Amino acid sequence: MKGLRLYLPPFAPDSSGASSVLYELGGILVICDAGGCTGNVCGFDEPRWFTRKSAVFSAGLRDMDAILGRDDLLADKLASAAKKLDASFAGIIGTPVPSVIGTDYHALKRMVEKRCGLPVVAVDTTGIDLYDVGEEKAFLALFRTFTEERTEERTAERKGCVGILGATPLEVSDLDIQDRFEKILKKDGVRQVFCYGMGAGLEEIQQASNVEYNLVVSPAGLKSARYLEKTYGTPYRVGFPGAARLIPQVDFSGKRVLIIHQQVLANSLREEAEKAGASSVTVGSFFMMKREWMRPGDVSLTEEDDLKQLVKEGSFDLVLADEILEPLMDPDLPEFVDLVHFACSGRLGEWQ
Amino acid sequence: MTGKAFFTTTKELAELGRENIPEGFRSNTHLIYSSPATLAFNSPGAEGFGVKRAGLSIPDSVMLLVAPGCCGRNTSGLGNLPQYRNRFFFLMMDETDIVTGSHLQKIPRAVEEILQSLKTRPSVVMICITCVDALLGTDMERVCRKAEEVCKIPVRPCYMYALTREGRRPPMVHVRQSLYSLLEPRTKKSRSINFLGFFSPLEEDCELYSIFHQMGIRRIREISRCSTYEEYQEMAEASFNVVLNPEARFAAGDLEKRLGMPYLELRRLYQLDKIHNQYMALGRALGIEINEEPYAGHARKALEDFRKEFPGASFAIGEFQNGEALEMALALVSESFRVREVFATVNEENFIYVEKLAALSPETRVYANLEPTMIYYEETEENKVDFAIGKDAVFYHPGAHSLTWSQDVQPFGYEGAAHLYRALSACGKE
Repeated sequence: MKGLRLYLPPFAPDSSGASSVLYELGGILVICDAGGCTGNVCGFDEPRWFTRKSAVFSAGLRDMDAILGRDDLLADKLASAAKKLDASFAGIIGTPVPSVIGTDYHALKRMVEKRCGLPVVAVDTTGIDLYDVGEEKAFLALFRTFTEERTEERTAERKGCVGILGATPLEVSDLDIQDRFEKILKKDGVRQVFCYGMGAGLEEIQQASNVEYNLVVSPAGLKSARYLEKTYGTPYRVGFPGAARLIPQVDFSGKRVLIIHQQVLANSLREEAEKAGASSVTVGSFFMMKREWMRPGDVSLTEEDDLKQLVKEGSFDLVLADEILEPLMDPDLPEFVDLVHFACSGRLGEWQ
Repeated sequence: MTGKAFFTTTKELAELGRENIPEGFRSNTHLIYSSPATLAFNSPGAEGFGVKRAGLSIPDSVMLLVAPGCCGRNTSGLGNLPQYRNRFFFLMMDETDIVTGSHLQKIPRAVEEILQSLKTRPSVVMICITCVDALLGTDMERVCRKAEEVCKIPVRPCYMYALTREGRRPPMVHVRQSLYSLLEPRTKKSRSINFLGFFSPLEEDCELYSIFHQMGIRRIREISRCSTYEEYQEMAEASFNVVLNPEARFAAGDLEKRLGMPYLELRRLYQLDKIHNQYMALGRALGIEINEEPYAGHARKALEDFRKEFPGASFAIGEFQNGEALEMALALVSESFRVREVFATVNEENFIYVEKLAALSPETRVYANLEPTMIYYEETEENKVDFAIGKDAVFYHPGAHSLTWSQDVQPFGYEGAAHLYRALSACGKE
């Protein structure tokens, strides 16, 4: 039945994705909810929340605020907080409540900017879409709001620097990803890595047009990469550095393999599995699947039954996927190996 | 971070009066700061016994959460606990559902599919709905009746409406009403009573059991101690209910109207003299004499042992714990301990404790957990304390002896206070 989950809990929603992008950037983040969504975002989908303070707030909406559409009250609350807090911008993140009452985020953004005197990034997430949709929107809103013109002088300063687009804990299941990517990419002559939203702050987002190239590590980063290329001429590449260290140490030779994860990582792992002798590798994902990165046979999944059917009919020898998906595997499947995906199970992984 | 966290001393608060409680303590006037200290009470389903866990208190029940994906996300954590495995199911709403309400049509079929997927038939299916349906004005009672007709199984609504958290019937009140709404009329047994209020049992040695047994009560039932649906139904035999948490008052009122069960209310306190007063009042109301001395003696001994070991100890007391932060602060101050800080939501109901604290400890600082400037709170040499009680206070005072005091099994009365002091002694020695 469409929408019914008998085995799987819901995956990280778009509001969590948007929050994940903005979390480290020093803004006042307001999740436009009554409290429950903020609890979910912070308490479950944001592993940095327990160790690193960030100005994340719930708008504290009450029934009459929603019924009467009191956007001005939210603007007042934000203006009051902005006076007390040291913040460089305000981020407004949508949830189901504003979605149901049809909040005009564009108008809200202008109202808050006027009252707070801070730049505002408003992300019209709904709590219905998946995390990568929220990430995509938040990244794009950030670059549109803050990125400055590409200049020769600054480009020269950032020669050998690479921007990482699309990395959040939800995507990479790791909190030290900037260091890891830098170590790996330095071997290829890269001087410095700026992982937007995970290590690199607002200043680097302002200078995202001036890096040598941006590297897209998840589908959620693609739109922003294209925007930066089209607007400023900053080139981009796609790939997940260090996939070789993430591929499980199992025997792939001659096996039909199914990999389920976010598409960029899954594609990079596919290359590693093929190098290791896999006879065929199919990529599937419950999240964004960009057509241009799909090979014939790759599958976009929505319902539990989609995965059940794929595994049943695919005659795979080995499935690499987050362990939370294991109950959907066919009993005859010879081998299942856990491949951590924070957006699915809320677990962080370990690099080898 | 350079700012300063907002606080008010008890003296300043008392001078302002209950009609002028500062905005910092009124969460509808400001953005709500989200930190690990606030998780449990900032989000009705996030931690502790939120609506989701509470909704599954009926033995052998299962829950279908009908909501956008974001509302059920943290349930994946709960689903890992053995007692909740295979008990949570989700019907995820999309935009079409929100516009057309078509998710409501799917519920009976979803319940059917759940029943088919389970090896044993559940006792009841709780349908948990969220803010979206609050705004859509969904008549979930009617939808549940429809599902009952189709599936031939009790189906009950469970409202996780964060939007109504400060309303007359917030989610945790409503869920208690839903839980007890399934009790069917039975012949009353004069020697049976129920304790209402918590979703986990009282501590085994809590004196309430003995006190009611002294009165001739033979069976005391709590929902958390019912291991089968039939045992749960036996709660309908009770001659009266004892409400131990004000959030169960509406449920007790429903039972009074529907099943003719009167109720009386007892409050969890840590001030030993007030516990005594409460038992005396209970005895007078029921026309019996209560022998409380053994239990009062346990509490006094635990208190004195703690005092000997940690004379003049200083405290920070939070509100995420099994007690009322300001009442606990007053209990400790009354016993000559120093309470430097309380993290609390000051309101008209608990203002009486503020006034008493102002007289005994006027410099005690009261912080508002949810106020935005709490992001600046730091433990320093100046505000260090010996003990922090409550998950929030422990978060703010990593350098103190930590007692989260938020265990599922509920402390109450003299024995609850005795356990508190013993737990403090133990954590002070760690």
